[in-house]
Amino acid sequence: MRIIATMTFLGVLCTTTCSFGNTARSACVSNNFSMKGSFQQQTDTSKKDTASTDTSAVGIKPIKKTITHRLESKGNSLDPKKLSIFPAVTLQQALKGESAGVYVQEPTGEPGTAQNIFIHGTSQPLLTARELFQSQPLIILDGVPLTSEHPYALDIQQYKFERIGPGTNPLSIINMDNLQSVEVLKDLSAIAAYGPKGANGVILLTTKAATSKRTITFDSYVGMATKTGVTTINGQFENNFRRQFYDKYTGNGSYTGNDVYPLYLSDSLNNAYYGPANWNDLYYKNGMVYGVNASIAGGTDRANFRFSLGSLKNEGVADETGVERYNTRFVINMKPITWLNFSAMVNGSIVDRDRNRNVRDRLTQVNYIPDLSSPVASNKEKYGQYLGEFEKGFDNNKTNSIQGYLKIGLTFDNFNWITTAGADYNEGYRDIFFPRTLLQTTNYASNYFSTSQRAFVDNVASYDWEIDDDSKFNFQAGLSAQYDSYKYQYAYAYKGANDFIKLNLLYSDPNKTSGSEEYLTPSVFRRELVFKYLDKTKNNLLSANVRATYSFKDKYTFSLMLRGDGSSTQQPTSRWFYSPIFSAAWDMKKEFFEDDATISTLNLRGSAGRMGRHESFDNYAQGPQYTAFAGFTGNLISPGYNGIATMTRPYSTGGVGYDLDWAYTDQANIGLDASLFNNRVNGSLDIYMKEDKNMLLGVPSASEYGYSAIIKNGMAIRNSGVDLTLSGVILPAEKTVSWTSSLNINYNRNELTALPGGLSELAIGDRLLRVGEAVDRYWVLNNTGIYNTDDEVPSVGGQKLSYNGIDLKAGDPIWTDLNNDNIIDNHDRVLQGHALPVVSGGFNNDFSYKKWTLGLNFYYNLGRQLMNQEMANRFDFVNREGLNNINSVREITFWEKRGDYSKYNLYNPWSSVAPYQVNQDIFVEDAAFVKLRTLSLGYDLTDIVKKNSPNVKRIYVYASVNNVFTLTKYTGQDPELVDYTGYDTGYGIQIPRTYLLGVKMDF
Amino acid sequence: MKKIILLSLIFFALLAGSCKKALDVNSTRVVNEENFWNTIEDARAGIMGVYGLTRAALADNNGHWIYGDVRMGSFASPIRQDLKAVIKNDLTAQYPVVDALSNWRRFYAIVNAANIFLERIHEVRDNDARYIQNNMDVDVAQVRFLRAFAYFYMVRIWGDVPFITSSRDGSFENMPKSDGRAILEFVQSEMAAAAEVLPYNYSVGDIQQPGQYYNESSSRWNGALVRKISAYSMLAHVAAWQGKYADVSVYTKFVMDNYTRGSIGYSDTQFLTQRNGLFYDKRNSQILGFGFIWGHQDATFTGNIESLTLAEPVVNKALPDIYLTKDSIIGIFKETNDARFNIDTTGVPHSDRYITNYQGKYPIFSKIKVMQDGSSDPTFRIFSSTIVVTRLEDITLLRAEALAVLGEREGAIAALNIIRQLRYNVDNVGKATEGNTYQAYNEAKSGALIDAIFRERQKELMGEGQRWYDQVRYQRIKQSDPKFVALLNNGGIYWPIAQSVLAQNPKLTQNSYWK
Repeated sequence: MRIIATMTFLGVLCTTTCSFGNTARSACVSNNFSMKGSFQQQTDTSKKDTASTDTSAVGIKPIKKTITHRLESKGNSLDPKKLSIFPAVTLQQALKGESAGVYVQEPTGEPGTAQNIFIHGTSQPLLTARELFQSQPLIILDGVPLTSEHPYALDIQQYKFERIGPGTNPLSIINMDNLQSVEVLKDLSAIAAYGPKGANGVILLTTKAATSKRTITFDSYVGMATKTGVTTINGQFENNFRRQFYDKYTGNGSYTGNDVYPLYLSDSLNNAYYGPANWNDLYYKNGMVYGVNASIAGGTDRANFRFSLGSLKNEGVADETGVERYNTRFVINMKPITWLNFSAMVNGSIVDRDRNRNVRDRLTQVNYIPDLSSPVASNKEKYGQYLGEFEKGFDNNKTNSIQGYLKIGLTFDNFNWITTAGADYNEGYRDIFFPRTLLQTTNYASNYFSTSQRAFVDNVASYDWEIDDDSKFNFQAGLSAQYDSYKYQYAYAYKGANDFIKLNLLYSDPNKTSGSEEYLTPSVFRRELVFKYLDKTKNNLLSANVRATYSFKDKYTFSLMLRGDGSSTQQPTSRWFYSPIFSAAWDMKKEFFEDDATISTLNLRGSAGRMGRHESFDNYAQGPQYTAFAGFTGNLISPGYNGIATMTRPYSTGGVGYDLDWAYTDQANIGLDASLFNNRVNGSLDIYMKEDKNMLLGVPSASEYGYSAIIKNGMAIRNSGVDLTLSGVILPAEKTVSWTSSLNINYNRNELTALPGGLSELAIGDRLLRVGEAVDRYWVLNNTGIYNTDDEVPSVGGQKLSYNGIDLKAGDPIWTDLNNDNIIDNHDRVLQGHALPVVSGGFNNDFSYKKWTLGLNFYYNLGRQLMNQEMANRFDFVNREGLNNINSVREITFWEKRGDYSKYNLYNPWSSVAPYQVNQDIFVEDAAFVKLRTLSLGYDLTDIVKKNSPNVKRIYVYASVNNVFTLTKYTGQDPELVDYTGYDTGYGIQIPRTYLLGVKMDF
Repeated sequence: MKKIILLSLIFFALLAGSCKKALDVNSTRVVNEENFWNTIEDARAGIMGVYGLTRAALADNNGHWIYGDVRMGSFASPIRQDLKAVIKNDLTAQYPVVDALSNWRRFYAIVNAANIFLERIHEVRDNDARYIQNNMDVDVAQVRFLRAFAYFYMVRIWGDVPFITSSRDGSFENMPKSDGRAILEFVQSEMAAAAEVLPYNYSVGDIQQPGQYYNESSSRWNGALVRKISAYSMLAHVAAWQGKYADVSVYTKFVMDNYTRGSIGYSDTQFLTQRNGLFYDKRNSQILGFGFIWGHQDATFTGNIESLTLAEPVVNKALPDIYLTKDSIIGIFKETNDARFNIDTTGVPHSDRYITNYQGKYPIFSKIKVMQDGSSDPTFRIFSSTIVVTRLEDITLLRAEALAVLGEREGAIAALNIIRQLRYNVDNVGKATEGNTYQAYNEAKSGALIDAIFRERQKELMGEGQRWYDQVRYQRIKQSDPKFVALLNNGGIYWPIAQSVLAQNPKLTQNSYWK
């Protein structure tokens, strides 16, 4: 065994170092590389299964979908070859707009940052990162369910804009070039096999298999991300903007005797603010992108392997952000006896990230607010000096990750058994030193190390039983265990002795047990200003399932699965959750059109059932509990009282009782797959209804018992809608010009169907959850204008219309008093807009002419609105500058002109009714858009090159432009650049237009 | 084949057996009921939790000072619109801080934690022999005091509030408001009961607390916990708020007669105002204080008076959140020979103990300025001052007030002069007088006695969250300001109840003034 492994490894070394000679095997079947007909590949999974079985004599396939394949949608598969044309860093980028029902958020163009995927809408009201985490799909790489960044670390953060740690997107480790197939599983019959963690959908990634035939591939691209021009402004502009308010509402340039005009705008001779606003020369720069991938595969029919290496660099266009990735993968298969298969895989990656230098994100980390009265200078010279200060420190963000499995497969006639043991291990580092000059003469050092790990064992047995030609059975049983653990170690310190020692050094003499140089006390930073945190959370999940499938005459297929899932995050009295999933299919082609050549496929399928939803937080299982948190606003983490640890109920995070139970998802869908006219028209239509029920929600209640909320079961959210994938070969390949077009579209309707305790509505922060409405709506006041004089304010019985008891005056907005009670308050707010799109999808066109191919990919969102908080902030300068808190931060992009100033009335910004509060309809904007995401042109050089070097099996060169244009009515930045809340804070960095040249070669 | 099936059956059976174990994962982030209230350490964590929550409730959003000093006080705010609204008593204004301060949840967290402690502490006594009866008695007294203190604080802020004295774990019934006056009676009796049991000090061999308290020496507990004197001092405040000045004189007399037994003393002006003076660290003279102890890494960026008042040139912040205008400084510090702030006839100040940068546009109120560990380094705005709720000077003046109201003029003047002796002992350029002579109370110079006492309270306790309550008591006595008297009569002295609280408890109604 070991000998074989060693030999194979040596073989790899030899073949990679030797030349690519050896023409003996050049007769390999071409892997059908083509930009054409991608939809056929996308849709026909069964065909691909057989195709890949051909290329490898050994290797463990997932249990063959003998008779069950008809139960599955054909609209799920994506073509990874095509996806790999896009210079994606993350899986999310690659999936955007490619599959009906998969909605990807890319809130910033900063490479390698977190992005979100929602399959068939959100199952949670997206209030915090916690709900976001619980609404994400499960990603499975070759049978290894991947972990992601657990949001528990946010519990110690005062400001939650960024999670502590490297903050690198966990899915930036996926190398699209390694993938053989990408399948998005949306309906319950498909996701049920993956258990409660897959309740939000599953994305299956299958990497390229090892082959017995020796193949070498090489792919590379290089390109440039180009900046988009912006309009900059300086202090003069801002000053003129503000003067309007002073002119209108003050007599002498000061609203009250004791306020003060901001210093940075007071001196018009100050070049830093009043000079040319050319900061953008330093902030926006074109960035380089490249990717290189190579792989080698080979072996015998009893043992084979594939080894691949990849490297990628992707620079953003703003703030010198960027990401670099190195990855390697090795898979080996062995078949010592005919009925036994071994397979092992190791996938390793290193991701290094250069972060932005936002003030907000830096202060989020530093947790200390310096004096913010003057923003970063708009002039290049001053701004350059500021940027130079970063050079004195560092901010290193690194993620190492490794996935591996060992599979044993047994095959006896109709009996199949696969045992997989595997692990996903990720570690994140963030080391920071910010010099004194960046923080009002206080320097800052911090070190963070975390691990996220999952170990699992998964057993699947399958038995096929054919009673006769008409009746066939398949029985499957699965048993799996997953062990998750997350931990971090984090320390930070303020006020080091100087800017040269950038680490928190400790005294190292173990003999000194007291005194000024006590062993292990900090030597450079003061002991009292060094803060240390450790935390970890674990959870285990055990699952068992059985499934029986029956097929009659290949026309009717029925399948029933029973699951039992036990989770350590559920209370002891309700650890296990049992649920059934039923699915059926009817092959109408066989039934009605057996002999009709125009219809190649017509399959109707449906499924219905229930599955548990996994809970990732371990505290709910504990019942009534005590925590160490006794902090307050601005100081969440008090280290105890009088130097002694405290234990109190979780008052600020929410009370937990003994009565919590599993949340679960009820889903039903009906789908139709059709291929007509010799596969020229393909379509897949799915109507789905998924209702996530009995979910936990912190219900604001029990204030008089000290709690901000009580955690309760009972929230239910229904997402229902339609997925449609339609493709047609408009001009078939036989013609000189061929044209294939495909459209994917998802319509999703989100509705809150129940709240805990039968409540009909619930206000949480500035969101309102109302039964019967979507959970992604904004809760706003209707603003219809401005009161120009006090007399215009209506009054009832001498009592002026008031805002929460404060009489409205001249300069205040005309808010609609919906319930006519003469008070504007929360009862006058209405639900409006959707943060998530109602309709989204993509539209792809591929043309080819001789050896040329041309691709056009469009991406669109419709029925989506944004809250333009950036504009609200700009107008609300009085309040935002009055407070010296994290919301008063103004970034360098404060000096960029965005949005339409003329849309808004000049309200009195000093008014205590907060005329520019963001939650009013004037800031809700239509954010529907259409993007041309990729325009690519390729040429197949194979025939030309083959003449001279017959080793080359295929060579394909291409050029592409990505993010070509966006059509939208939105007045702010790119409407994509918004996080899950839908509030556009202006923090998103441009998603750049990228020009690429690439080559793909197979030998 | 058979073998395989057999093997797999065994495998399944083994796996199933380990199931239960695998699913019992005790959280390392929280402690459940099973693992709490078992040992003396749990008792300690529980009682410190009640203290921690009390400190958090007062420090949250700088509430203690915004309630006490900013609301309709002498401070002005240059740019903070929310504080301007509080200064104007515009307490329904749309600002996050104003909204947060009208939410009483954090005080009920103290009440709930105390209720749980009182209901469960006997379990520790039953389970852990190290937890002796006396330890439990003293703990229960402290917790009862803290619960009463939370109610006292709430009644002063909101008037009538729901009255809950049990934890009702698991069935959090919504409760209507109870009469604030009845709650104050409860507060008074609870504090009086606690005062009986509490020792003068901890770990010093007090007869009511023999031995080492939680096995820590007295230096650990100095001023950090509620003591007998603390209880009597707060009783005096509770009685004064109720207008029971006879009770005030009884309680303050106890304090005046016994403070030395608690190692408590008066602070001279220097110690009162120096960076590492009275407000730094834990000290017995902080009769009731909730500390942010530098040595325990408690220093904090917010939750203190410094984060509101300090700015250039004391710390590196451009503008203070609140400051005293020159007019109000001159209006308050009218008397000469005052060591806290001294201004000569030409308008030149000679003492920067209370006020720094008097000549600038924004004079900085710098009486309390515990930066880092009491250093003068202006570059890092982390503070470690203790929230001092009451101290001996406060109680002495409260006694003067009570005696004045009760007509015992001589006693009132004597009490007032104790404070005057400490403060009016410099000449007109701020130099200490020879032989520490001082300006005694003189009606011609200092005004009518009751006015002089309240004026003295304003000066002495400025920045300690007392001014608002003093104004209320003063107007109740004098009825001199018709606007304020109107507030007394129509409930305008109370804060509105936060909308979020009203929304979740339909049994509550908004306070009448704010409807």
